[in-house]
Amino acid sequence: MAWFTDRHFFLLAVMVYGLSAVYSVFLWRLGFRKDDHVNYYLLLTAFALHTVAMFKRGFSLNQCPVNNLYEATTFFAWAFVAAYLIVGLLPRLRFLGAFASPVLFAIGVFALMPALDPPRGPKPEFSGALLSFHAATILLAYGAFGLGAVAAVMFLTQQHDLKFHKLRAVLSLLPPIQRLESITGWLVLAGFVFFTVGLGAGHFLPRRENTNYWQDPKVMWSVFMWAVYLALLVLRWVRVPSNRGFAVSIIAAFVFLLLTFWGTNLLSPLHHP
Amino acid sequence: MSIVVLGLSHHSSPVELRERFAFAEAKIPDALALLRKSGVADEAVILSTCNRVEIYGATALTPDAAAAELRSFLLRWGEIASQMQRVSPSPQREEGRGEEAVLNDSTPLAPALSAPGRGEGAQFGGDELYSFAEPQSLQHLFKVACGLDSMVLGETEILGQLKQAYALAHRHGHTGARLNKAFQRAFNVAKHVRTETNIQRGSVSVASVAVELAEKIFSSLKNREVMVIGAGDTSEKTARALLSRGARSIIVANRSHDRALALAQELGGRAVPFGDWGAEFGKIDIVISSTAAPHHILDRVNLEPLMKLRHHRPLLLIDIAVPRDIDPEVNFLENVYLYNIDDLQAVADGYLKQRKEEIAHCEAIIAEKVKGLLLKSEDREWKMEERTSTSPSSILDSQSSF
Repeated sequence: MAWFTDRHFFLLAVMVYGLSAVYSVFLWRLGFRKDDHVNYYLLLTAFALHTVAMFKRGFSLNQCPVNNLYEATTFFAWAFVAAYLIVGLLPRLRFLGAFASPVLFAIGVFALMPALDPPRGPKPEFSGALLSFHAATILLAYGAFGLGAVAAVMFLTQQHDLKFHKLRAVLSLLPPIQRLESITGWLVLAGFVFFTVGLGAGHFLPRRENTNYWQDPKVMWSVFMWAVYLALLVLRWVRVPSNRGFAVSIIAAFVFLLLTFWGTNLLSPLHHP
Repeated sequence: MSIVVLGLSHHSSPVELRERFAFAEAKIPDALALLRKSGVADEAVILSTCNRVEIYGATALTPDAAAAELRSFLLRWGEIASQMQRVSPSPQREEGRGEEAVLNDSTPLAPALSAPGRGEGAQFGGDELYSFAEPQSLQHLFKVACGLDSMVLGETEILGQLKQAYALAHRHGHTGARLNKAFQRAFNVAKHVRTETNIQRGSVSVASVAVELAEKIFSSLKNREVMVIGAGDTSEKTARALLSRGARSIIVANRSHDRALALAQELGGRAVPFGDWGAEFGKIDIVISSTAAPHHILDRVNLEPLMKLRHHRPLLLIDIAVPRDIDPEVNFLENVYLYNIDDLQAVADGYLKQRKEEIAHCEAIIAEKVKGLLLKSEDREWKMEERTSTSPSSILDSQSSF
């Protein structure tokens, strides 16, 4: 149906994310004692709708849909869900979905703001496979960082409950804290690898003459974030921060990323000509 | 033909009485043969455990008549068993009363069991026995299989005992289509209830709760080092439970080094002098402490420097001593998780409460399955099954659905 656009499909996906978020509250009230397979299937359904939305947008543009804030946000959320659906194949890690769905719903609602998706202008000056690769890998990195932050929240929740002898720490089906700490580390490492590759690809993208790459706000911000995650990974490797400290740092880094990503994008002549 | 059950359990009678009716496993085939020969039941299974003695029979008699006959049989059995306890071991002492022929048709009925012997002083008033006819007999069987009638709600050992009782009866040819189907369904219901509800989830003993806690902290218990300080019974049980889940080794420290050595040998670990246990802390993941010390043997001051050697690895401390061995302030250290006996008991109580909340759900499943079984018993399929014979292993392991 011609009137059923990619935004309609994305809206449906966001509604299912919302349903998943409501169900997550129900799971939380039950102390995570009920298996999370229902939530997994809800997120899988939302992911399917989300994928259709992205494909429709991509086919209409004839390129990877990462050209404005709406597209970048939806791609980031898509990467977030994709990472969860892979990790959630392990039954004990499926509860990540209960913590991820409220975040996904919030990001989806934000992305649907009309101002983020202005009417399409002329085809971007620079486009092509390298640009798509750069954008896709960066957004996959954000997705992995996001899921890592969610795993860190689960770790802190479970650690607190165990420390203060809350019954739900034992009665729940949440994974052990050592496993949550490990998965946080692996997700952040995966995100860092994607981020490094994406930034490297971005360096080779064509740009206008007299454009100073290294003084672009988005580039400076990206390098700063890259350095932050590198520092966290190195400190973790040498066992400097405690497990709790590492988890808090990962959450703080991702919250900072979420809050500043769009602003720096708007300030960047390279990304927002 | 319908199924009746008669018996006594920990709900209805004390152990002093139950033991007088208990069937030794070697005697069960003869008891079943006698029961069937008497015409009370065409098929029979006897379940005799430490907490219950029950006879399941498929009978053509009316339920009331069958229950009365089974009651007589059980009482005669109880009387003979008590008399055998009083008689000296020589089988020649009483003619015709060898070990093989413990009960026959001419054995007089014992109206009251008050003779001295096993269960001396335990008086049988008659109210201790319960009997059920269909559909309650099937509901009872299913409840027993699911652990709903057990002393520890939801325990799983009873299912194995029920399977053994059934296999024994079947092996000696004392079951037929009716009991085969009923017991097969009981085993399937138990599996269904186990997967669909939380009735068997969690642990209700202190030792098992400690293991569950460890599994909430560590990704795997394999290769974990455990230290036992003070070689008491509960510590030993907890250590064994951890070993059974893959813990690598046990280090035992006790004031009596001989006792430490003995326990370490039993558990396949090693003993260290009581004063030296602190030196092992860098390697230990789980500590179980239950000494008789009147003061704290481990506090924040002496643990904090040791934690630096652990590189942020978590440490689980289980303090089951009263007075406590470990200063509660220790719990505020990063990566330390301290649980005392009350905390463990609270977890066990939490699991028990969770199990009790599942009773209604389990009973609803059981009611539905009993209804299904009784409806099917009127089908032609039931009658066809009477002409087929099935092996115990295929019935016991059958995955067939309702």
